Amino acid sequence: MIGKIREACRQVEVDAIIGYRKKEGEPREILHVFKPDEIDKITFSPLSSNNPARLLMEILPTMNKVAVIAKGCDVRAIRELVKENKIDRNKIYIIGVSCDGVVDYRKFRRAVQFRLNEIESVELDGEDLIVKANGKEQRFKFADVMSEVCKHCPNPTPKDYDVLIGEPKEGKEDFSDIEEIEKMSAEERWNYWMDIFSKCIRCHACRQVCPVCYCEECLVDPVNLAISPMTPAEEKASYPRVLGKTVNSSDNLIYHLVRVLHHAGRCARCGECERACPMELPLTKLERKLWKVVQEEFGYSPDEDIPFLSKLDMG
Amino acid sequence: MIYEGDFLKNVIDKLIEEGFTVYAPVKVGDYHVFKRVSKSEEADFNYINTKLSPKEIILPENEILIKYGEWIEEVPISNEKTAVVGIRACDARALKLMDRVFLEDIVDPYYKARRDNLLLIGYACDKAGDYCFCQSFGINPRGSCDVDIFVTKLDGKSFVDLVSEKGKEIAQKFELKEPVDEDVKAKEKDLDFVKSVNTEKLINRMKEAFESEYWKEVARNCISCGTCTYLCPTCYCFDIYDEGEHKGVRLRAWDSCQFPLHTLESSSHNPRPEKWQRLRNRFYDKFYAMVIRKGEIYCVGCGRCIESCPVGIDIAEVITGVK
Repeated sequence: MIGKIREACRQVEVDAIIGYRKKEGEPREILHVFKPDEIDKITFSPLSSNNPARLLMEILPTMNKVAVIAKGCDVRAIRELVKENKIDRNKIYIIGVSCDGVVDYRKFRRAVQFRLNEIESVELDGEDLIVKANGKEQRFKFADVMSEVCKHCPNPTPKDYDVLIGEPKEGKEDFSDIEEIEKMSAEERWNYWMDIFSKCIRCHACRQVCPVCYCEECLVDPVNLAISPMTPAEEKASYPRVLGKTVNSSDNLIYHLVRVLHHAGRCARCGECERACPMELPLTKLERKLWKVVQEEFGYSPDEDIPFLSKLDMG
Repeated sequence: MIYEGDFLKNVIDKLIEEGFTVYAPVKVGDYHVFKRVSKSEEADFNYINTKLSPKEIILPENEILIKYGEWIEEVPISNEKTAVVGIRACDARALKLMDRVFLEDIVDPYYKARRDNLLLIGYACDKAGDYCFCQSFGINPRGSCDVDIFVTKLDGKSFVDLVSEKGKEIAQKFELKEPVDEDVKAKEKDLDFVKSVNTEKLINRMKEAFESEYWKEVARNCISCGTCTYLCPTCYCFDIYDEGEHKGVRLRAWDSCQFPLHTLESSSHNPRPEKWQRLRNRFYDKFYAMVIRKGEIYCVGCGRCIESCPVGIDIAEVITGVK
């Protein structure tokens, strides 16, 4: 597969390629902006989990054309940003990858018997993941270490691409895990979520990593909203602080609810929030519950070309 | 000294009996964090290191300093006897570094009261984690002078080093005997580190690299979240603000140099508006500014920021890469 990806990169004339490189000393794949003469350094494996859309949005204004290696969910994020006029589709060359699902690196680390620096390769073989190190190999069920969000992926094959690597695959929208939570009583659900929110340390990684959380001002930490050189002292003293830095389950609840509600009909379900969370909170469950509502109550399909909120305005 | 049995577990019960508030590693889901325990069974010592550093015990993420309304009501400084059982050598060193910030020059009374009442019981590492590199800073994961008692688990018994007077006092309540050569030998163990930081001539390298494009490259992926700083055992930045207009509380809360709001000045000028400047600040604070101010590198090699960085920024790699 990596040969085909590199070949596809060589076929286009672009200023940069956003892809993955293997981190030194461990099998983890991290996002990287490659120059066109660095194509041989591009890698790809089931550990290439991060979503390149945020990085794409960040570097695109300074470039004419950028190629991006994108899985099904990554393209969902790119499409959303195109819909919202944040990026210009004409400046992007999408090397779509038909995805088998990505590895949850935390689960992987807990399951693997080797030290990370010994691992030579991580490959998919049918239903199994094979890890090779020191002439030995360990095999485990891919499903056991797969990212939770991949198990519910509606389209592992990108909906939009300029070239596709791999065979198209069918996905299935599946909210079975959300339905399990819905079965709980209101009190059980409250306790379930408050327990989760009590662990949040409010590092804002979930917000920062999210490709659709691009607002320059956020209610949590408005930087420019109220303060300018002309702002009088009294106003500065009372600049809007909707939510302070207090960390407790009720403030954390507000933080997460507001964050998630702004993603209604926009979330790409790539799982970056959950992956970024140092406290390992199941944040995609909130996002997917919201998608369920958007689809069931508002009849909105993620494939539509009009943003959800614009469609609501149109009535 | 040698204790026949599990000293870490037994000391928890003893300390609780003596009226201490005891924090110990507790398994929460798939990881460990320091939590207040009410009996030794709640603690689990089967871990490389905890998800969050124990700094929260001495520098809480949120702390109410005063309450105000018609009157100002000061919140009394806590003099609770507190113990942390199972702290690793890296985290214990980090508290020592923290002391130099809060107890030198301007003394922080809240911190001081907690620190004076804090008993530390260290716990020797049996293996180096994938992201550990404390050895690069001369920290010995099998022995620490930054705690009151340091415990090494041996087969069925515990090797108990009594480091401070406070530690000796606690240890009197236990039946300890002199170690034999075999115990001393069993205690010695070289750990297999895979990570390291090149600290050679670091101060000069850092000085020269300040204006380098290198930092923009390093920061390319950075998302400006607070994960690295909040998980770091030596990051001590906080913010103080009032919550409530006529009636409310004055709070101290953790802050992170990675947040744009951290350096926003009242004039609306921000000296570090770009994420690469904020990221650079983190490295220069730890490996340059604090070396000049305190003579110490403010990193203890616990590896938490590497393990949890959402985009794979690796402090050991970054510092070694400073040419």
